[in-house]
Amino acid sequence: MSGAATRRGRGWAASLILCGPAVLLYGTFVVLPAVLGFAYSLTDWTGWTTEPNFVGLDNFRELAGDERFASAVRFTLFETWMIVLFFTFGSLVLAVLLDRLRSAKGLIRGLFFYPYILSILVVALLFKYLCNYNHGAVNLLLRSMGLGHWAQDWMMDPRLVGYFIFAMVAWSAVGFFTTLYLANLQTIPAELYEAASLDGAGPVSVFTRIQLPLLVPTVTTNLVLATIFGINLFGQIVVTTEGGPGYRTATVGYYIYWLGVKNNRQGYASAVSFTVFAALVAVAIVQVALLRRRQVQL
Amino acid sequence: MSRRRNRRRFGWLEGLMLLAGAAFVSPCLLALLNAFKTNPEIIGDPLALPGRWSWDNFRFIFTGMKLARPMLNSLLMCAGVIACLVTVAPMAAYSIMRRKMATGKLLRVFFLVGLTVPFQIIMVPLLKLFRVMNIQFTYLALLLHYVSWGLPLCIFIYSAFMATIPRELEEAAAIDGCGQVGTFWRIVFPLLTPCTITVIIFWGLWIWNDFMQAFIVMGPTRGQLVFVQLWKFLNDQYVRNWNHIFAGVVVLSVPVTVLYVVMQRRFVKGLTAGAVK
Repeated sequence: MSGAATRRGRGWAASLILCGPAVLLYGTFVVLPAVLGFAYSLTDWTGWTTEPNFVGLDNFRELAGDERFASAVRFTLFETWMIVLFFTFGSLVLAVLLDRLRSAKGLIRGLFFYPYILSILVVALLFKYLCNYNHGAVNLLLRSMGLGHWAQDWMMDPRLVGYFIFAMVAWSAVGFFTTLYLANLQTIPAELYEAASLDGAGPVSVFTRIQLPLLVPTVTTNLVLATIFGINLFGQIVVTTEGGPGYRTATVGYYIYWLGVKNNRQGYASAVSFTVFAALVAVAIVQVALLRRRQVQL
Repeated sequence: MSRRRNRRRFGWLEGLMLLAGAAFVSPCLLALLNAFKTNPEIIGDPLALPGRWSWDNFRFIFTGMKLARPMLNSLLMCAGVIACLVTVAPMAAYSIMRRKMATGKLLRVFFLVGLTVPFQIIMVPLLKLFRVMNIQFTYLALLLHYVSWGLPLCIFIYSAFMATIPRELEEAAAIDGCGQVGTFWRIVFPLLTPCTITVIIFWGLWIWNDFMQAFIVMGPTRGQLVFVQLWKFLNDQYVRNWNHIFAGVVVLSVPVTVLYVVMQRRFVKGLTAGAVK
């Protein structure tokens, strides 16, 4: 009996050595701040100086009538909508084309994936240059082709800046979503293609009848990932427009950052971030549930 | 779809896609070209070749912007975080995977939740925590944050891979009197090498490229990592010196680009590993 006890004791010691550091680090620097953040959402804490006072659900009540938050939600949904459409369907088309390549595969796929390995700051600087009104390559090219009246202030014009952000995000991450589709395409057995070609199916019916149904699992993955990507859009805003012009391009992520770090309203910022987080989780669950039912088993 | 007939032929589709790919990365090529030009030349005609190929802009990156030290700092940070992650994460994953039902499952969920938490939620409470610990705006704080932040994904990747490793080897080691910790380091860890390489690539690239979290955790003035420094330098300038911007962008992207060209397959695999949940 005492032997069993020592063995158990030794098992505990081993578990402590193996699991302890991870639980300690993750518990202290991820879980604890998240829990504290939730607690702060019920207070008027500034984040730096005064101690927090409990204010109940006041922050959430303020949120309901906050025009800036409403604007941030609108802009985030606008970006997310474009991002989701493009990353789910645009990269699907690109992946199917890339899958049909017979030579120079690695090189061509490598080119499309390349921007994904660059820092968002690098991507932002490149796009800031391309779209600069006076010196940017896009406007210079338009002017040199005699289309000067098409030249725009892409980053400052409130009507265009949303598309500027979208173009930047789309360019940098399309390779990632395409790669996920390519991995899925490679699992489709060659016999299916052979059977289709015997039946005289063209590329379009191969796509609609074979590839698309078998790609549904990755459509689900990409849809969910692109939604999360869109709703969490944040760093890209900080390094380009900083929410401007006005607060036209403030996403909810940027708004939280602005409230918490620049505006010293951490209690309210926490309330905003938990509201957004809850909405995101709900959307992701609905998406997964809806698309699970459409999956085709191989 | 006659795949077999035209195998390995370079046809119109390949030509078209190659052109499209080249157009796709043309902003990078433009940056490379313009990094060798002077500012008036760039403003005058961004597509023209430089009048004189000069390394002046690159020299400025190291003399004027003093980016050499931050580059070293970033490298050391990458090495430190990776060293912590590839010891702490696989140990935890091993312990979770080899545990009897209840506690193992509980721990799994505990770590999986971390994959869904956005950075904005923990941002300011985390800074407060570092202030209480008296390590605010230090490299140690950033290291602790990077490691803790990276743990859930690493544990997830390691556990998925560990499920494919047969248990017989471990059982043999246990019979030979090897304890659980010893078994892990001597038997299991070497088998995890492909996974460890994935983790090294993913987090190495992520930390080198990270701007946002280093900027927030270490503050704009103390943060001595490359992209924070580049950002700070560019923000302090009143004039847009495009030539310096391009040279900076090129210098900081060259290391990752070279590695990418050499190990493209591993890179693509490593960077998409976290997505297939």
